[in-house]
Amino acid sequence: MAAVSQLQRQFIEYTTSLYNEGYLDDQYTQLQKLQDESNPDFVVEVVSLFFEDSEKLLNNLATALQQKIVDYKQVDSHVHQFKGSSSSIGAQRVTNVCIHFRNFCEEKNLDGCLRCLQQLKHEYIQVRNKLEGLFRLEQQILQAGGSVPMMESICTSASTMSSSGKLSA
Amino acid sequence: MTEGIHGFSSPRADVFPAGLRVLVVDDDPTWLKILEKMLKKCSYEVTTCGLAIEALDLLRERKDGFDIVISDVNMPDMDGFKLLEHVGLEMDLPVLMMSVDGETSRVMRGVQHGACDYLLKPIRMKELRNIWQHVYRKKIHEVKDSESHEGLEEILMMRNVSEQQSDDGYLFCGGDMTPGSRKRKDSEHNKYEEKDFADHSSVKKARVVWTVDLHQKFVKAVNLIGFEKVGPKKILDLMNVPWLTRENVASHLQKYRLYLTRLQKDDLKTSASGTKHPDINPRDTTEKRTEPIKIQQNEAVSSHRTTNHTIHEVDVKGNNAALQTIKPKKMITGYAAKTSIHPFESTQYSQFNSVLPTQYSWGGGFKEIQFKQENNNNNAPQFQVHNSCFTGVGLPAQQNTSIPSFQLPDPVIGPTWSMKQDPCTEQTSINNMELSPFLLQGQHCSSTNVDHQNKGVTVTKFNDQEFINDALKFDYDYEYPDLWEYPVIGQGLFIV
Repeated sequence: MAAVSQLQRQFIEYTTSLYNEGYLDDQYTQLQKLQDESNPDFVVEVVSLFFEDSEKLLNNLATALQQKIVDYKQVDSHVHQFKGSSSSIGAQRVTNVCIHFRNFCEEKNLDGCLRCLQQLKHEYIQVRNKLEGLFRLEQQILQAGGSVPMMESICTSASTMSSSGKLSA
Repeated sequence: MTEGIHGFSSPRADVFPAGLRVLVVDDDPTWLKILEKMLKKCSYEVTTCGLAIEALDLLRERKDGFDIVISDVNMPDMDGFKLLEHVGLEMDLPVLMMSVDGETSRVMRGVQHGACDYLLKPIRMKELRNIWQHVYRKKIHEVKDSESHEGLEEILMMRNVSEQQSDDGYLFCGGDMTPGSRKRKDSEHNKYEEKDFADHSSVKKARVVWTVDLHQKFVKAVNLIGFEKVGPKKILDLMNVPWLTRENVASHLQKYRLYLTRLQKDDLKTSASGTKHPDINPRDTTEKRTEPIKIQQNEAVSSHRTTNHTIHEVDVKGNNAALQTIKPKKMITGYAAKTSIHPFESTQYSQFNSVLPTQYSWGGGFKEIQFKQENNNNNAPQFQVHNSCFTGVGLPAQQNTSIPSFQLPDPVIGPTWSMKQDPCTEQTSINNMELSPFLLQGQHCSSTNVDHQNKGVTVTKFNDQEFINDALKFDYDYEYPDLWEYPVIGQGLFIV
């Protein structure tokens, strides 16, 4: 069906751009590989868990940084947790902000921390939106009777796509 | 274990490592889910846990129910390294650590605490596929160990040689020398082991599995004897486990000592650098203490092997604050533990014991205690901790010295405290512990109302878990000097 192949193409392009722009990395691919018939919604489930956890962590961070006397150890441990969970789904940009954030924690630089928190929120919301968009596309493909293209093949063709200029961010 | 590796004996040999029973511990729900999926893909049997305490409970409940444990390093309720130590000591399973943080120092700590491997997140399938090697390796070493003593002598010789070469030589002697022993750069360890082996020439028996019960008996015995005076033979005698050999006890004792030391060091570090544990910061106050004392404290704390986590993570509140509550007792306990211990079973004491704590906390006990002391002065009051959770307290000549001189000598080794186990034990233990300090102090007060001991025996309050927890809380508050400054004499000095 034309609709399906169109959707599939869209999906591929979209996914490729996410990888290229660093929103997702190889870990996300790994997750895709883990998904199988016994667990067809595995990726969505894991990502949902991540969203839940992240929101909690962001709140905790905000609270911790609002204290009169900021406990940087506590802040650092939250960031560490966030780093861990973002790495679990391959949310690369989020993980990178965490790294910077931890440096500020070590320096007890409140300003730096607050800025990182803002950045963290921003990156998190971005990746969340992107993933939600991706899932929607997947649903559309499935509903149109097609199958979702495998990540691996998408990733490998990413370079060819970009070189051929087909890539649309 | 001679029938083989649990689950890996012949029938399953062909399918090994499929069905490997893995316990995954991680507070991150996302990772837990992913790891579970990955491990299932490897055809392993997976159990997940979000908390370290839960994991320990599970492991204890289902002894021999798991082959390997994978745990994250950072968890809210317990440091992953601590969990690692516990598992190694109690269940002796291979443990893999994981973290998103790959700093060398952390990895090193993991290895020091006995981790079989340290995985960096994000973890790949191929890494998980191979974890069975750790289980296999351990099994092989166990089998080796239980073979003839020829092997033993060889090992001994090797060790001698390597020891001459360097302290670290032990590490290069080869794999696990003794069942479950870990490679450690510890010359004390070396010497001890050597001496141990040299003492006997019998064939090494099959591996002993140190179950929770067995370990508890062990700790009780250690506490009874007094950590300083402990020795495998004594422990063995006290434990009264017919099939257990002195060698078994000896090697377990080594592990135990090292475990305590390591935890101690960790606590020092964590207290210095802060911990992730929100409400559990037992070591915060340790910084003020002298090293040795800390060790004692922590040993004591660490010796707790209960599911009652509060005991483990004793919250050592401020020393000063301690004085207001039961705290001082602990200190003395330590001291008491150190003094000569003569098993002394007396009903008087038991009553006394039970009374003490409560009374103490109510400000009246102290007096009582003193007197009690007086009473038994001549017998160098010593009493044995009932439930053997506690080291007996001996009050040697000090009794007549002034309080100030009553220095908590070298911090007595901790394990007096094993407040682990049953609640009733706890209660008594507390009693005992508190008893000691009082006894000491009592020395000075000569007024004597021996009858006091009969008074207010309503210890019942002690049963109060809270009380117990509080008591435990202040745990090794070795700030003896403060305590001793209180005029021992007065009544109601220790008004809580």
